[in-house]
Amino acid sequence: MYRLLFRQFVRTKTCQIGLALVLLLGGISIITGKQFLINQAKIADQVVEKQLTHIERNIDLHGDDLPLLLYYLKFTLVHATHPLSGFSIGQRDLNPSVQSVTILTLEGQKYDTDLVNPTKLLYGNLDLSFIIVYVFPLLIIAFTYNLFSEEEESGTWKLVNVMAKSTLAFLVAKLSVRFVLLALVMILLLVVGALVLGISFDGALLLFVMTSLLYLTFWFALCFWLICLKRNSNFNALALLSIWLVLVVLLPAFINSYITTKHPVPEALSTMIKQRDGTHKKWDSNKKETLEAFYKDYPQFASFGFPPEKGFDWGWYYAMQHLGDVESREDSQAMQQKIRLREEMSKQWAQVIPSMHTQLALNNIAGTGLLDHMDFLSHTNEFHEQTRLYFYPKIFSDKDPESVEWDRFKPEYFQVNGKMEWIATLFPLVLSIVFFMGLSFVQIRKK
Amino acid sequence: MRKEILFLIAKQFWASAFKSKAIYFLLGLMVLLLLYAAYGGIQYHDQNHFRENHQQMARESWEANPDKHPHRMAHFGTFAFRMKHPLSTFDFGIESFTGNVVFLEAHKQNMVNFSEASFSTSLIRFGELSMAMVLQTILPLIIFFIGYTAVVADRENGTLKILLIQGATWKEILYGKAIGLFSISSLFYLPFALIMVLILITDGHSTSDDWIRLFIVLLTYLLYLAILAMLTMIVSVSSQSSKNALVKLLGLWLLFVVVLPRASQAVGSYFHPTPTKLEFKGAIEEEVIQFGDSHDPNDPYFTAIRDSVLKVHNVQSIDSLPFNYGGFQMSVGEKISAEIYKSHHGELLNQYRKQNQWTKLLALVNPYLGVKNLSMTLCGTDLESYVGFQHQAEDYRYNLAQTMNELQVKYIKANVSSSEGAVNVVDSKEWESFPNFSYEYPTVGPALQNELIAIVSIACWMLFSVGMMNYWSNKASAL
Repeated sequence: MYRLLFRQFVRTKTCQIGLALVLLLGGISIITGKQFLINQAKIADQVVEKQLTHIERNIDLHGDDLPLLLYYLKFTLVHATHPLSGFSIGQRDLNPSVQSVTILTLEGQKYDTDLVNPTKLLYGNLDLSFIIVYVFPLLIIAFTYNLFSEEEESGTWKLVNVMAKSTLAFLVAKLSVRFVLLALVMILLLVVGALVLGISFDGALLLFVMTSLLYLTFWFALCFWLICLKRNSNFNALALLSIWLVLVVLLPAFINSYITTKHPVPEALSTMIKQRDGTHKKWDSNKKETLEAFYKDYPQFASFGFPPEKGFDWGWYYAMQHLGDVESREDSQAMQQKIRLREEMSKQWAQVIPSMHTQLALNNIAGTGLLDHMDFLSHTNEFHEQTRLYFYPKIFSDKDPESVEWDRFKPEYFQVNGKMEWIATLFPLVLSIVFFMGLSFVQIRKK
Repeated sequence: MRKEILFLIAKQFWASAFKSKAIYFLLGLMVLLLLYAAYGGIQYHDQNHFRENHQQMARESWEANPDKHPHRMAHFGTFAFRMKHPLSTFDFGIESFTGNVVFLEAHKQNMVNFSEASFSTSLIRFGELSMAMVLQTILPLIIFFIGYTAVVADRENGTLKILLIQGATWKEILYGKAIGLFSISSLFYLPFALIMVLILITDGHSTSDDWIRLFIVLLTYLLYLAILAMLTMIVSVSSQSSKNALVKLLGLWLLFVVVLPRASQAVGSYFHPTPTKLEFKGAIEEEVIQFGDSHDPNDPYFTAIRDSVLKVHNVQSIDSLPFNYGGFQMSVGEKISAEIYKSHHGELLNQYRKQNQWTKLLALVNPYLGVKNLSMTLCGTDLESYVGFQHQAEDYRYNLAQTMNELQVKYIKANVSSSEGAVNVVDSKEWESFPNFSYEYPTVGPALQNELIAIVSIACWMLFSVGMMNYWSNKASAL
């Protein structure tokens, strides 16, 4: 029977158009992912090359003056890209993956955005996660909305009633044909994508695939429940599309708007002003006070003492730069906390909304979420501090650039590994599947 | 076409639409969406207060500077905060993806930072709930839902034959029903228009330009509804069954709203790649150095300038010049680097425009994109409005840097090279007399010129829909 059902289904126009569309879009999405990864690799390559020539050129120009040289020198931290991010680009296209920072005030540097076309960001990426979260549910709806009703409307249901041992088994058989077909298409896209993007077949990919398949199953469960209501085709099509609209458009938009208006981040703006004032107003204050404040943070340098009040002093200059970060720290931390709170709230809401959960989970596995960027920013702070601490003693003691081991300053990479939360990722989806299966079961028993 | 018959049919369409309870539910849903979207829009727009406050804060801090060397002020710099257009309450456009504040200082064009999206989880990528979004994407579905059976169901149950026998023509039936559907969708639309008028009235700062913009926006959506109503009739009359009509309409919606926009952007960025930030900055730096590096004491360009200045003033060293040479040299350097930056930035913007061109051209086959693009532009939330802000901020920055250089040339002694301390300073009154940054929105005329394609698209779709209605009036059959 399965073979016949399969053949019958594959011959329909809906099936052929649907599959052609998803394969075409899937192909585009894999190319999009590949482009993204190539671009990221290009950036990483340029960074390595640039860092070398950048240091050399500046040593040539200011080689006799280390503090002046450090005013110009940029040190690079790269946010390593996991190949899976080609599947789920998330927020990685709008947050930069490279921090090139001098040892001057960090708060004025680290939020520098990338160069991106904002219109492109608005429409979003056509990556594989988009196909999984948006397009597959539509196919499931198109393939199943008239699973039962078409039989009744064309008059074949009576025939099925008479011929089939169990009408339920017949419906389930029809449904499984569609499920298997779509699951295979999804796996095909994921496997081809993994090969093209060079994703290794490891735990992360397995979790990615399982999340996608469970999401697919969730939509089948939902559609099956609606089919069990035994309404006509028009009703089913409209109801399912409305549910799709609510789950993948309205609810996420609604929740995002709720979270952003509830927690606006004006601290970002005040951080900017405070770091500037914190640094630049020191030009008008006395040098001793500035250095005292600096030594409070770094007592290990207190032995370098205080420069004369008259005239310029580099140690004082870098102390004043550091105080820009100190005086904006409160606002900066408030901003960080709010952004993390936004992420936390999104995750909580997503627990009960499978579409949102799947998108956030896929980004999380690929390391392309907001939190990943926040972690990168925090790591930038550490990176900046370590670089400063290496140079401070040399600045204070008027060392030559020759005393610096320049080889140490190759671009550094930031990568978080093993952030796979199996249960937290899969459980909400399993729960939603069980929920709709339960509803269907109740519906069937009623009849 | 006879007017009475048209209205009779339209009235009958109303009556039958309001017979089902679903329409009250949909109306209720729309009102809820509208209220939430309007609330969200006003909240977003209220961020202007934060920005105004911070612009003020930055200004006060600027003015509070004591007597200083002007070059210290050039690096003290200031900020430009991007203000939202009053109509951005209606259509968020690319607002959330563009930066909101830029630090303006000498020698350096900084990035515009802190876009809303950079603080947001990827939920923002599902799309944002604005009044324009509800009208562009949700209302069409409601129109399809109310109208998809209009003709085909009458054919299925035989009432069409009766209508035709009683003397109504096909044209009257199609247009009558389209008018009926259009007027119902206007009922859904009316609260949106009223709320926008109300928002603009209570805004207090609204100008006549804002009102012209709003008027065109409202008219655009009205035309959009007319196009959608006619499209629904065309699909309904050309379908075999009501199920077919529904599936076709939903398919169109998906294609227009979900698939084509993203696909066109994917194609655009594939064919018109943009430089990475490193390449972009590297290219500018390279060109500036090629031209003349003011930081290099042996740079040939700047030594030539110095020599000729010395010659004109007939002195041996810059210390004997009647003005501060450092200030003069920086003003030359600033001019060069600003021009080079401008040309590279212009190239980059053109590349973005080329990327977007695919989406813009697609409006000719996709009315949704036509309305979306036009709506963004009129609400001051499109790429060009953002570019306008960037240009104004850069002009202000340039002016600031050059004014500080002039002050240095004029008031700082020739033999002074250090900017440190309270010795070589300019009176703090100068800081106050330098004007604050204030952003001017572009006027509606130039804005519209950027979206000619969208205007043409909407006009073409109107004509096309009328043409198809007439075509089916002749071709349709009652069986």
